[in-house]
Amino acid sequence: MEMIDFLSYGFIQRALITGFFIALLCSFLGFFLVLRRLSLIGDGLAHVTFGSVAVALFFKTFALYVSIPVVMISALGILRLIEKAKLHGDAAIGIVSSLGIAIGILLASLAGGFNIDLFSYLFGNILAISREEMILSILLSGVVFLVIIFFYHDLLSVTFDEESAKAAGVKTRRINTLLFLLTAVTVVLTMKAVGILLTSALLILPAVTSLQVSKGFKASLLISSLVGVLSVIGGIFISFWLNLPTGATIVLFNFFIFMLVFAHRRYNIKKRRLL
Amino acid sequence: MSVTIISVRELSFQYNSAEVLAEVSFDVTPGDYIGLVGPNGSGKTTLIRILLGLLMPSAGTVSLFGRSSLDFREWYKVGYLSQRFMASYHHFPATVKEIVSMGLLSKKRFPKRMGSSDEMAIEKALECMDIVDIKDKLIHELSGGQQQRVFIARTIVNEPDLLILDEPTAAVDPETRERFFNLLENLNHQKRTTIILVTHDMGSIGKYASKMMYLDKRVIFYGTFEEFCRSTDMSSLFGSLSQHLICHRHE
Amino acid sequence: MSIRRQKWIFILTLILIAAFAFTSCQKKEQKVEKVQKIQVITTLFPLYDFVKNISQDKVDAVLLLPPGVEPHSFEPKPDDIVRINKADLFIYTGPFMEPWAADILKGLDNKSLIVVDSSKDISLMGEKGKHGHDHEKKKEVHEKEHRHSHEKGHKHDHEMDPHIWLNFANAQKMVDHILEGLVKKDPTNKELYSKNAEQYKSKLNDLDQKFKETLSRCKKKIFIHAGHFAFGYLARRYGLQYVAAYGFSPDAEPSPKRLIELTKTMKKHGLKHIYYEELITPRVAETLSKETGATLLMLHGAHNLTKDEFEKGVTFISLMEENRKNLEAGLQCQ
Repeated sequence: MEMIDFLSYGFIQRALITGFFIALLCSFLGFFLVLRRLSLIGDGLAHVTFGSVAVALFFKTFALYVSIPVVMISALGILRLIEKAKLHGDAAIGIVSSLGIAIGILLASLAGGFNIDLFSYLFGNILAISREEMILSILLSGVVFLVIIFFYHDLLSVTFDEESAKAAGVKTRRINTLLFLLTAVTVVLTMKAVGILLTSALLILPAVTSLQVSKGFKASLLISSLVGVLSVIGGIFISFWLNLPTGATIVLFNFFIFMLVFAHRRYNIKKRRLL
Repeated sequence: MSVTIISVRELSFQYNSAEVLAEVSFDVTPGDYIGLVGPNGSGKTTLIRILLGLLMPSAGTVSLFGRSSLDFREWYKVGYLSQRFMASYHHFPATVKEIVSMGLLSKKRFPKRMGSSDEMAIEKALECMDIVDIKDKLIHELSGGQQQRVFIARTIVNEPDLLILDEPTAAVDPETRERFFNLLENLNHQKRTTIILVTHDMGSIGKYASKMMYLDKRVIFYGTFEEFCRSTDMSSLFGSLSQHLICHRHE
Repeated sequence: MSIRRQKWIFILTLILIAAFAFTSCQKKEQKVEKVQKIQVITTLFPLYDFVKNISQDKVDAVLLLPPGVEPHSFEPKPDDIVRINKADLFIYTGPFMEPWAADILKGLDNKSLIVVDSSKDISLMGEKGKHGHDHEKKKEVHEKEHRHSHEKGHKHDHEMDPHIWLNFANAQKMVDHILEGLVKKDPTNKELYSKNAEQYKSKLNDLDQKFKETLSRCKKKIFIHAGHFAFGYLARRYGLQYVAAYGFSPDAEPSPKRLIELTKTMKKHGLKHIYYEELITPRVAETLSKETGATLLMLHGAHNLTKDEFEKGVTFISLMEENRKNLEAGLQCQ
């Protein structure tokens, strides 16, 4: 099958467009999250989404209306646990996410079953994206993009050293809240659109790859988004050529890029030592 | 116009019901160069964090530049160099220039943009610390001494009226340290920058500071260096030999 | 302050959990006291429905799957294993539908438990056409070859299609196996069970005839299913070509090529309908419908029911009747 033919399909176009924006979204946010050692927040909030979908099904309402506020509140809960209880990020994420699952399981058993498989409701597929999901992902990445442009310096200094940032008059609390809320909305929407696998992978892998390159902050942020977009778009094409499931292919291709960059860096370090 | 830079009244701070600071009151006037000394756990860092608005006091008031620290907004007037500067930057992807530029942030209002005057200020700070040639290097590629210079550059880049430095020379080579103290002296003399320097190093503090504060949960001593040297309380606290050594270096 | 608050939240959560645990325990105890009937545990809805039809109210039939749960991703919870341990009869579809059954049965202390493998003596179909690795034409050849080998009764090591109940001749055999198990456990009601089983089998036979009749007058001889490959037995029985988006279970997502092939096949055959499966959000079906303008129709695999369906009292036969109507519409049968 030729490329033109491939590109003429609506679901491929939606996958490419939505994938592009979701990659930008996740790799931008993921960059800040990884540097603050909150890589697993995507996974954690995904668990909370699971719980919230159970709540929605329990009360028979549209899941996004419940998931988005619940996950936002949970994200703030994680933030407050880190700030107030002086917990490490991973522990705080662990607490909130296990609470989310517990509530989900509890409600599932109380309800005595649902009308739809809970997991299938949760996990999107990049090849089966609806128009609304595409538009939402474009809007959301627009918001994240604007936030990064307008709060770039605050985000940089808060990420680098929260205390100095606060001493320099940066509203660290406001910045953190903003970052966490955006992450919450991103997790819910991208999970619904492309599934948990891609959401958590795209929050971590592009950022980690860009950190291997050893460039400045702005450069790394741009590399992170570039790697994210490249993996998604490249992954979609590769999955077509090799006839593989798309989501998994994107993750593996992203990991492959990471390994390449990692090997390159190792090689350079060795070379420098020999000289 | 001589506004008091810092005015602290009846300040106390408890952490988990343990007393960290009690009845602390003092004033800092423009141009002061204060060496803040005291044993480990004497509350020096806590005091500084309260001054910077990072901690809320349990009781008492702090005012900065004549205004209560609760509604003080001109943080660009205060430069702060924290003790933990090297803690977790092992792989942080930021260049020297990017880090120094963070120091300008406190002056900016939303939306925060960097202009050509900021570029010049950064350049000047880099020159001042002699790190122009490494400005595009990543922070974790540098030696401890170089890193320290970068952080000092960040602290002085927007020419603050008040500099608060928490153990800034703890892990630094002698050359950087010498350069640093000369820089502080210049700032203090030429720009009348007020300086509070927390240090362990009682020996060298006397060479530069004009005032001494000895803190041990309370203010045990606060006054000029000469007063410190003449104080019989201090000689009984430190032993007259130590006091003599500190004061001797000063002359 | 905050630490104290957390403590309270923690305690509150504990109390809530304890309360729930307590009430649910109570419920179970009440059940046990009331019921002296034979406990029959079934894994899938068809088995459950068959047992109900054969035994009427003589036994207490339990469906292990909670309503709405997709069975291919199901793993029994400790509570389920306890239930199996207490039961008199355990009826499962077969080792390919419930791969977990063998391990659990091995570990049981319940010596008097009678286990019914409903797929006994039923020849399974293999991996034919499961995934579109090749183009349509190649696959047809591939299918024929496979059909041959299966009719000779070869056993394969690779994955087998476990959806035997969707061939109503097989379903009748399954009824026989269930009857056998029930009679072994409860010989006193043998006559009743046998009579009911015969009646039910004749209903299944009628259903089979009706399908045959309906599907013999269709314009289209192919149907596309955006779910997992569940209707292979049905398609073969009535001489239809069947293409599904997924494999035997809906776990792995289809590749882009697969979806493109499906759209092409639909266009080539001029299909105006696309089928989606029960329980799972029909994302792939919606995608294909958007791509081709085809309308969505449900094809219920009857693995499990939703909560609403249970409340409505849906039966295996009524589900299949719906399927027949939907196939009649989708395949343009006159």
